[in-house]
Amino acid sequence: MHLSRKSISILIVMAALITLPWWSGDLYKLHLAALIGAYWVLIGGLNLVVGYSGQLSIGHVGLLAIGAYCFTILAGTHGVHPALALAAAGGLCGLCGLLLGLPSLRLPGFYFAMATLAFALIVTEITLAQGELTGGGIGLAVPGFPAPFDTPQGSYWLILAIAALVTWLTWNVARFTWGRGLIAIRDSVVTAQAVGVPVFRAKLTVFVASGVTAGVAGALFAVLQSYITPDTFIFELGLFFFVCIIIGGRGHILGPLLGTVVLTALPELVSPLARLGTFFYGLLLLVVVLLVPEGIGRVFEVVVEYFRPRKPESHVVNPDLQRLARAIQGSSRK
Amino acid sequence: MTFAAREVTKAFGGLTALSKVSLELQPGEVHGLIGPNGSGKTTLLNLLSGYYKTDGGAITLDGADISATSVQQRANIGVARTFQKPRLLPTLSVLDNAMLGGWRDARAGFLASAFSLPAAREDEAVLRRRAEELLHGVGLSRVIGRRANLLEHAEQRFLEIARGLAQRPRFILLDEPAGGLTPAEIEHLGAIIRVMRDGGIGVLLVEHHTDFVFRVSDRVTTLDVGSVIKHGTPDEVRLDPEVIRVYLGA
Repeated sequence: MHLSRKSISILIVMAALITLPWWSGDLYKLHLAALIGAYWVLIGGLNLVVGYSGQLSIGHVGLLAIGAYCFTILAGTHGVHPALALAAAGGLCGLCGLLLGLPSLRLPGFYFAMATLAFALIVTEITLAQGELTGGGIGLAVPGFPAPFDTPQGSYWLILAIAALVTWLTWNVARFTWGRGLIAIRDSVVTAQAVGVPVFRAKLTVFVASGVTAGVAGALFAVLQSYITPDTFIFELGLFFFVCIIIGGRGHILGPLLGTVVLTALPELVSPLARLGTFFYGLLLLVVVLLVPEGIGRVFEVVVEYFRPRKPESHVVNPDLQRLARAIQGSSRK
Repeated sequence: MTFAAREVTKAFGGLTALSKVSLELQPGEVHGLIGPNGSGKTTLLNLLSGYYKTDGGAITLDGADISATSVQQRANIGVARTFQKPRLLPTLSVLDNAMLGGWRDARAGFLASAFSLPAAREDEAVLRRRAEELLHGVGLSRVIGRRANLLEHAEQRFLEIARGLAQRPRFILLDEPAGGLTPAEIEHLGAIIRVMRDGGIGVLLVEHHTDFVFRVSDRVTTLDVGSVIKHGTPDEVRLDPEVIRVYLGA
């Protein structure tokens, strides 16, 4: 079987991730890896909204909270099977995405960001106010996953599988026609319209999809936290998701994934950084925005391009008219 | 089959940009549109492609009034256009930019794409083949994998034409396609326009290079301060005293 260098590296990374519980050393690192996975489930979907279609949502923490509470209330309070509760969390947040997106996605960029901010703030207030449902400020204990996912290793593998699925799905969206249409909406709405991209409907579609992944992420996140209160879903978390994508680079899948890993793991593993806290995010964001505004994903591309053998530059445009005529004839409308 | 503006009027605030202008575009013909700066050429093009809505008169396709349709709907019924300042997606490759033109023909929905179903992969293969052929045809085969923001000016213009052709248009509206091109590149552009015409596409050519317009057009319309002052064959327009007076000069 012939394997490209790309698929070999994917296989190596997957093998390393699957065997992580045996070489990570301690349970804390495993927990951290699972947390990164849960974040990525949300950020991967949000990446289609922010990184591809260029809609600046900073309020996805609200959807994360709804997913988390939905899972906890269904699986904990009402004893619904966790798998069903997980699906319900995704479905409910997809619906919330639809209801939030319908009025707000028509707004210009800045106002859309403000609408998502308002949404996140409202969700926090509701979780506080609806005491008998959410436990109010006291919060709720979150039930674990059923066997075989009830151990730290098991829940890590479950989250890894879902995160891998999200990566694959978003990668497919990005590489096919939809990806080009979304980037057209981001970089030139006029062009998007000219080729027939239904701008509002496309934005709404990815926003709903990002709602579903945010809901699923909320459920996974809740299980990892094992106890949730409104304070678990501080607004900074929403900014953090957004910053991961900006630092990773818009229009990439791998960049934001790397951004998520670095921004989650570094402050935890390097203790001096933990003391700096949000200062570290701010500094990193500043460096990236000033030095590599296209994000770390682009840095990788540039390095790869640098080492690739280059053909001599030629900018002579020399049409092949017979071939053009055949191409036009072959595709003309009947 | 005719794409036409019928007595269209467009005003911006108190300024009347176009007043009862009519223009017909037939498949398989090149229709030149010339006139001094501010005469309303680009306004007419924006009305035809749907970015502006008419204040009076109608845009029709095969006799049906399509004045109220959106830009996207017009793209779907076969109207493509290029822009005075090329509007490409800077971070995407030349091939991806051309393939964007095939959006309408990608039948697979969002979920089919996300799950990489056969329908999505087939769409992709068809669009890729078509875009590659068109890019070779317009002479961009050497830069097919390059990011669009690294292209020379002429390459950007030709890429916009390839993207427009990837839409499989019945009519293509070119907004000053010769702007900034060298004489040799203008010759290539002329040849490409003739191939499009011979392929049955109706080409509207908005242009300042009048020599070029008279050479490649079958019919020419001249605008001045929002009205048609002359319409006819290139020779009729070139020799018209009014056109000479307001635009061509002695």
